[in-house]
Amino acid sequence: MSSFLRPDENTLGVIFGRRNKGGPPGVAKALRQASARGATLGTGYLGVGAGVLSAIQALYGLSLFASQWSLYPDPWTAALAWVVYIVAFVAALITVSVRGERLPLWLFIVYLVALAAVVSLDFFAIWPLHDIGAYATASISAGFGLMIVVTLRRGREVLAAAGVLGLAFLAAIVMDSHLDAATFPSQLNTLALATLPTALAVYIVRGFRRMVQQELDRVLVQSTVSAPRFAVGMLASEELARLDLAAEDLLESVATGRTKLKLDPKTASVAASLATELRLHLIEGRRETWLYHAVSESEMLGKAVTLSDKGSLAGLLDPGQRDGLLSSVWLLMSDTRKQNVTRTLSLALGPVTPTAERLENNRIIVPIVITTTDVPRNRVDPAIWASISRVGRYSDSTEKSSLRVDIECLVDNPADQ
Amino acid sequence: MQFNRIRNFVPRGTGVAPPFVVAICDDFSNMELIAKERDRLLQRTARFLGLSGTIITLISLCFPGVVPLNNLVATIPLLLILTLCHFMVARSRPTLWAALGIAAGIAALAVVRLPFDQPPSASLGTAIAPLGAAGIACFALVLVSSVPRVLLIIIGAAVTTGLVQFATVHTGILSPTALAIILGWVLSSVLGYWLSASVPRAARRIYSIGKAHRAERQASETEAQRRQGARLLHDTVLATLTLLAHSGVGVAPEALRQQASEDARLLRQLRLGATPTPEASGPYNLTPVEETPLGTTLESVKQRFGRMGLEVSWHGTGQVLLPSDVLDAFLLSLAECLENVRRHSGVTQAHVTITDDATTVRAMVTDSGVGFNLEGIDDDKFGFRESVIGRLREVGGNARLFSSPGSGTTVVLEVPK
Repeated sequence: MSSFLRPDENTLGVIFGRRNKGGPPGVAKALRQASARGATLGTGYLGVGAGVLSAIQALYGLSLFASQWSLYPDPWTAALAWVVYIVAFVAALITVSVRGERLPLWLFIVYLVALAAVVSLDFFAIWPLHDIGAYATASISAGFGLMIVVTLRRGREVLAAAGVLGLAFLAAIVMDSHLDAATFPSQLNTLALATLPTALAVYIVRGFRRMVQQELDRVLVQSTVSAPRFAVGMLASEELARLDLAAEDLLESVATGRTKLKLDPKTASVAASLATELRLHLIEGRRETWLYHAVSESEMLGKAVTLSDKGSLAGLLDPGQRDGLLSSVWLLMSDTRKQNVTRTLSLALGPVTPTAERLENNRIIVPIVITTTDVPRNRVDPAIWASISRVGRYSDSTEKSSLRVDIECLVDNPADQ
Repeated sequence: MQFNRIRNFVPRGTGVAPPFVVAICDDFSNMELIAKERDRLLQRTARFLGLSGTIITLISLCFPGVVPLNNLVATIPLLLILTLCHFMVARSRPTLWAALGIAAGIAALAVVRLPFDQPPSASLGTAIAPLGAAGIACFALVLVSSVPRVLLIIIGAAVTTGLVQFATVHTGILSPTALAIILGWVLSSVLGYWLSASVPRAARRIYSIGKAHRAERQASETEAQRRQGARLLHDTVLATLTLLAHSGVGVAPEALRQQASEDARLLRQLRLGATPTPEASGPYNLTPVEETPLGTTLESVKQRFGRMGLEVSWHGTGQVLLPSDVLDAFLLSLAECLENVRRHSGVTQAHVTITDDATTVRAMVTDSGVGFNLEGIDDDKFGFRESVIGRLREVGGNARLFSSPGSGTTVVLEVPK
């Protein structure tokens, strides 16, 4: 009976019915969009690099093939394998540069089929020689050829393709070659050459993407250092806008008579919750500081950092101090050599205690305490000390075998402003 | 807690760098941070590649007949040193560990070939090729960054190629196996160069996204403030939503529709960028002039609650002039208190007594309802702290709450004149 459509997402970031639509809750849309832009950032250039490497290897393979031409019982089949490989490789490179940074599934499959044809033709040509390891050329290059799609398809898919290629090599070697001390090393090398480049490329691209994402997250969050003392944050502003829009829709539908009066209980409860959330949002946010927003908006810091700043003292820090504090927290969290270790960090600001001597310009000292878990004192990067020293005078110590830093941060007295 | 060291980089009173210095430091430290990440990626890649090559060679050498047992036993410690270098290169002093790794690898290539006056076994060259082409050549990844280090690459490549050639049964100048070593060094160097080059490219784009994001954050902050600042608008919207939350009972449908249409129009204006200041909302007067007589607006509050079933009786001063922001806070807090009476007291009548002296306007909201135990109930309940105390404090006022079970509730609101 009601024609008012319930919004599919409420303003406190919870999606009705479905959770986690389009990204983690609590991360503002603008941030999600920026991160999405970052996901493909720079990988195009990496893809070209993979093409260069494959091409260099193909030149080597071709010269090897040419030098062995007379040894082949049927060199023309092997030559055909090379022709197919070169055509497929060049076509793939052109397609990628024309179509951009995405390879559709069907094209990926076509490329894989072409590579499979290359491997089959090459194996067929060298089968009578009974030494796959010594004579395989185009089929090894096919393994390198997989590298150029690493940036365009999921790592898992490319690894699966490399795995299938490895199995094909293994089967051919077992069925066709005699394994003895003279031939074993070349069989093993060939198997490794066919599969390892792809694995390495996947490893590199993953590391590269992680690096870019992390840097992007840091740069995005760093924009909070120029925020005013109290800020509403990206999230609050977006939600207030969405809330106003939802209220507008509801009122509009009442005004035009689409929603009949008196309202059915469901729509009435939507109106009630809209009113409540709108009230909350109108007063919310002004009490939060840049540091709160930085921590809550960052995917990396949000997971591991707890902030306690009852007096909203972080807002008093000047941009240089804020930048120092944020980068030191960032470095402490990201500077881990072991990938599966979860470091945590807690930041406590205040309370301001009166000092015995009167400070110049009536300034006050905000004590900041950084406590960590899993950060050995002797493995802290020197860059971290440099960042911390930009916040203020500090002393470091060890608490429960992890780093603790006490900083005395000198700020302008808010009473003077 | 034990203090290890006291650092005193920044003397008190001079801890703040001028803004332009901060800006330069920002860019510098940004670049420094991502350069560190790039080095780590290169080092990890080198480790992956180096370990793979070393392991493949080790497997081949372990195949019976490829190499005499004595040579194998003598080579293994050198391979272990090489492996150690693969790990250490990702930890500290990469150039040093890379040089040591190359030396250990070269020594392994030489030892495995002993004695030099005997011809090598048929497959020795092939077996040690992965060691030369990946196990040792992987250090090229971390060495391409400067000219003296490139010299180290050239020396390493020449010596390993020579040793592998020496271990190969081949009559020509350069066997395909030795050529493969050169290929390994070339691919490794190109990969290192390409990865290094792609990081600044990505970094530049990351920072431009970061700059755009900073602007976006400022815009969003302004936008949120504009929306939060549109208080009068939100008051009328909230009033209408509250009526709708009660299904619109007790209000003439035509009047409610009229008001909903008016509010939707205002919200649309807000969304499209204007800051509408409604003069009236239905029967309520919301004149936003610099100073507003309290009496007329109080009357509108009374009417609003009258509609929702709470009879409000006014006592005391009718005409008080207040600045509009103070009036906003005062009225909203008053409405909030009356809303609490309506919801929780269990009675349908409330008394509001307004008094004023030279500096302060005071409102006492009294009901004879169920009351509650102040000890048992937190201020936060009913949003009292945020919606009443918070608002009043913002304009320099205050609120106090008196109640006990069974004897009603009294709230005293104070704002400065």
